[in-house]
Amino acid sequence: MKTEDLILALSADTLPQKSVAQQLARAMPVATLISIAAFLVFWGPRPDIWDALGSAAVLKTLLPLGFVVMAAALALALTHPGARQDIRAAALGLFAILVIGAFATALLNAGFAGLIAALSTPSLLTCLISIPVLALPVLVAVFWALSSGAALRPRLTGAVAGSIAGGLAASVYSIYCDKDMILFVVPAYCAAIASVAVIGALLGPRLLRW
Amino acid sequence: MADLDALEDLMRAANRGDSAAYLRLFTAITPVLRKVVRARGAALGHAGCEDVLQDALLAIHSKRHTWREDAPLRPWLYAIARHKVIDAFRARGRHIELSIDEFAEGLPAAAGPDPTDGRDMDKVLGQLDPRAAEIVRAFGLNGETTAETAARLDMSEGAVRVALHRALKAIARLRERMIE
Repeated sequence: MKTEDLILALSADTLPQKSVAQQLARAMPVATLISIAAFLVFWGPRPDIWDALGSAAVLKTLLPLGFVVMAAALALALTHPGARQDIRAAALGLFAILVIGAFATALLNAGFAGLIAALSTPSLLTCLISIPVLALPVLVAVFWALSSGAALRPRLTGAVAGSIAGGLAASVYSIYCDKDMILFVVPAYCAAIASVAVIGALLGPRLLRW
Repeated sequence: MADLDALEDLMRAANRGDSAAYLRLFTAITPVLRKVVRARGAALGHAGCEDVLQDALLAIHSKRHTWREDAPLRPWLYAIARHKVIDAFRARGRHIELSIDEFAEGLPAAAGPDPTDGRDMDKVLGQLDPRAAEIVRAFGLNGETTAETAARLDMSEGAVRVALHRALKAIARLRERMIE
């Protein structure tokens, strides 16, 4: 086929396409509901959930959600060639610094012995397994939506996709988790989210090619 | 043409369904992209370069929703094209056919194939269902309008639009698998 003939065919197709943001807005709620349904069946909220949500422990639920919003903004920039990514990446970096700062302060107060004590609980394993499992439906949805975009850096974009899924799953899981110490929550949740980000980075070059 | 209308205006009009503006956009950018591809891909020969160019044009079309209407078009256009061209060269580079051009200098020039003819596209069209392939060819080879194609195939204009849209999507997918 001649190129001039091809562009005649291409230019005749002016049907509107759904934006990546629209696809994301379509797929994320469905996946989140699946994740929440699985959570309610197999995990369930902690007994003192209403007290916990009234205390500082609510940050375990809210901060991952904020992280998800920032990661989603970055993912959209990464799938739109020419879009600015620096401000969105800086927002995520600032967020990470604040979290690490809170963790470092707690570590200075309690020392390494305190960290070991906080992490020496079966809850650690539960957390590291539960968050990636709860993230799975969201990961599928995010990849589905982002693959309609044009990722120039598929590995990085995949990692951000994993962060979105991991962050959302962490927020859901926090309703079950009854460990509220910073020395437990920050390393455990971050490790769990990071493991989903690694899965995303491995899948990115495969699933986001175009 | 690109001087009379900014590429951005043409693309915005295309997004509102103006296929004449969309054709002018493609007409303006195709020669530029062809030069870029040929400068890089001498070893692929003219037909090989034309395949790569068609890949890039298909990608520009299938990813057009990732351009933000308030952004300049050129950086987006070049980012999409560069990605696709690098991709195509990487895949084809593994099995580049050695060009005989260098040896053929002393030989009388035979009437070669049309240098704007791509070979891959015909293979891909052969894999589509015949009606879809027919619709894609109709706009190019026969220069038909949507209305004429619709009348000839006894379909509604809307159905032809949807069929063309789906066929181009399928082509983009098949091409991708081809260069994997």
